[in-house]
Amino acid sequence: MLLQSEIASILLNGLQQGAIYALLGIGLTIILGTMEFLNLAHGALYLVGAYTGLIVFQETALSNGLLYSSGITTLGFEGGFLAALIVVPIVGFGIGLLMERFVAEPFYDRPETDQLLVTFGLALIVEETVKNVIGGNTFQSIAPSTIFGVNVSQPISLPLVGLFPSWRLLIIAIAFVVIGLTYLAIERTDFGLVVQAGTHDSEMVRILGIPINRSYSLVFAVGAALAAFAGLIGASIQTVSPQIGTERALIPAFLTIVVGGAGSVRGAIAGGLVLGVIISAMTQTYSQWAQIVLYLFVALMLIVKPEGLFGSAEVGE
Amino acid sequence: MARDTTALSRRDVLKASGAAGAAGLTGLAGCAGIGGGGSSEYPALGNYPVEGDEVVFGFNVPQSGSYSQEGADELRGYNLAKEHLNNGGGWVDDWDGLTGDGVLGKTVASVEGDTATDPDTARQSATRMINRDNAIMITGGSSSGVAIAVQELCQEEKVQFQCCITHSNDTTGGSCVRYSFREMFNAYMTGQALAPVLAEEYGEGLNFYQLYADYSWGQTQQASMEQFFTEVGNWSQIESVPTPLGTSDYSSYLSDVPRDETDVLVLNHYGLDAANSLPQAIEAGLDQDMEIVVPLYNRLMAEAASDSIGGIFGTADWNWQLEDDASQSFVEFYREEHNRAPSYGARIAYTQTLQYAAAVERAETFYAPEVIRELEGHEYSGAGLGNETMRGCDHQAQRDVLVMQGADPSEQTEDLLLNIVSQTPRDDLGYACDAGPAAECELGDYGDE
Repeated sequence: MLLQSEIASILLNGLQQGAIYALLGIGLTIILGTMEFLNLAHGALYLVGAYTGLIVFQETALSNGLLYSSGITTLGFEGGFLAALIVVPIVGFGIGLLMERFVAEPFYDRPETDQLLVTFGLALIVEETVKNVIGGNTFQSIAPSTIFGVNVSQPISLPLVGLFPSWRLLIIAIAFVVIGLTYLAIERTDFGLVVQAGTHDSEMVRILGIPINRSYSLVFAVGAALAAFAGLIGASIQTVSPQIGTERALIPAFLTIVVGGAGSVRGAIAGGLVLGVIISAMTQTYSQWAQIVLYLFVALMLIVKPEGLFGSAEVGE
Repeated sequence: MARDTTALSRRDVLKASGAAGAAGLTGLAGCAGIGGGGSSEYPALGNYPVEGDEVVFGFNVPQSGSYSQEGADELRGYNLAKEHLNNGGGWVDDWDGLTGDGVLGKTVASVEGDTATDPDTARQSATRMINRDNAIMITGGSSSGVAIAVQELCQEEKVQFQCCITHSNDTTGGSCVRYSFREMFNAYMTGQALAPVLAEEYGEGLNFYQLYADYSWGQTQQASMEQFFTEVGNWSQIESVPTPLGTSDYSSYLSDVPRDETDVLVLNHYGLDAANSLPQAIEAGLDQDMEIVVPLYNRLMAEAASDSIGGIFGTADWNWQLEDDASQSFVEFYREEHNRAPSYGARIAYTQTLQYAAAVERAETFYAPEVIRELEGHEYSGAGLGNETMRGCDHQAQRDVLVMQGADPSEQTEDLLLNIVSQTPRDDLGYACDAGPAAECELGDYGDE
């Protein structure tokens, strides 16, 4: 019973961490797979999502903020986080469109090192801008205490696991709804078909007369929106400060696609969850080995299956 | 401020034999001529002698990384100290030996560095300050890993280091050096001050479970908690689990805490780490089953976790609510400049800079061995914590320690996040020179032996 309880707890914590990795990984992998563009500013998009969420959450909180000062003091529920759930992906999408047009496009035909430099530079600019405009302060996480009148600030008792934070349970559900919708969009829509074809052979797609450049913008924007959304989810459970983009998002996103395979949405989901469960399991059993085992696992994947769990050979080459 | 007169320094000998004249001293001091900080009364050592009209202090603080907000407030404290040393004002007006006209007549200039809360980066930054900027004294850091790395460098380079925020026992214990002094208290003293309060509050014979940041500070912190909770409260440790510095998600660690066995959960985390671990522990409902303790508070953590700190005990170096004249005057002039109350990081930064400057004035030279001898055993007050001694055997200040409790979120204001529970007098704290962390301390040489 104790072992079962331990396993259940590891899986649940792993799911929660893995869901954030998967959201980050999907965004990074579709950009890398479709455009063969290495985006080191992916962490910065996570940062933008976290801060946008923070600002929306604060300004639409009904006990203070912009809405409150305008005389709107009740909507019948705590609206800050719900507003952020809508606004953050839209902001991420818009920034993604701009990034594709002004940063990525001029570098598509340039060497990968140039892409790395320009996107890393962009990440630094975003981080420094946040520091200068909003300040280097650390902000509390922004989880709401109620959703539609239901208290989500208290832990709930689950079979086997015992008490588990109810908000974390909810964000696992929210994250997987978004992951599921993204998966369906890529598997079942024309847009998704172009993305999938692009990840296998973008040159062929172009030769077939499909306007892949327009799709590029959309792919980039969707990837950015997912990263921003991951930032919002992250901000609801952890503090927000200017360095989180690199520390919490960029490296996990790359590890995720190494495990899952570049260019594969299924791979990003699987990779994220595998990494989440490994970290959770190691932390709960041999915590000092958690980071070592994580990187050993990724190194092993590179040796045994360099294209990743679901990666296409083309992108992996 | 009284001076410790128990040990005759070489400077005293020189002064006493002043009647013999400068020429007569040359053989003893090894060089010709008597003068201020810039002349060659002593042989060249480190960045001595100081040339020109300015003397450079190096402010080496974290401007990025986990402790960057602490670094920003330290820098505010340092710059106030520089301003007051050069132009008078603040504590300089009441501090023995300080004139408000620079130090030994030289204007204090400063260089700033970013340690990035990383020992290697901090060492590189301090090296630049010593070699390129000719800094006569380095101060700063937030993180014991940084303090220990930089003080080792300073010992090698024979340049004085004045610690800022560093709470590990090792700083003035196993890793102590002659060229470094610490005003802040340490983890051992936190255990001594906190354990009786917690035993009184929560009772005896309890079980406690620890998480600790896995580096120098966290390791000595958890060891001290284990020692004093066991000795004072007759508590039993269930387990002590290391967590990497910079962890942001503690949920897996917290899932492993046995709720039915644990009476007290000790979170030995600081800064951003504590700002994450404490709210996450409360989010997981652990506070419903056990008491939570955060042994070392800081403002960053208290601000970032303000909804979670209500009623939680810890210790602090100093607090703006202290009512003594020195504390209130510090709060006043800091507030005038920065429009809010200072954190304890700012007080340590300010105090350590003034301590160094005053020691130079007393020694009448920047020659480090003499400045060090002036600080060793020096007794002082007026730094906001009553009478203090900078002990000679380990360079650890013997001073009072504050036990704090998080204010209820409904009472909190921008400045008031913690309430002072008690001020444990220094006579009830500390340890002999051959006991506790000091037993492991070997200070090393002065450089003029």
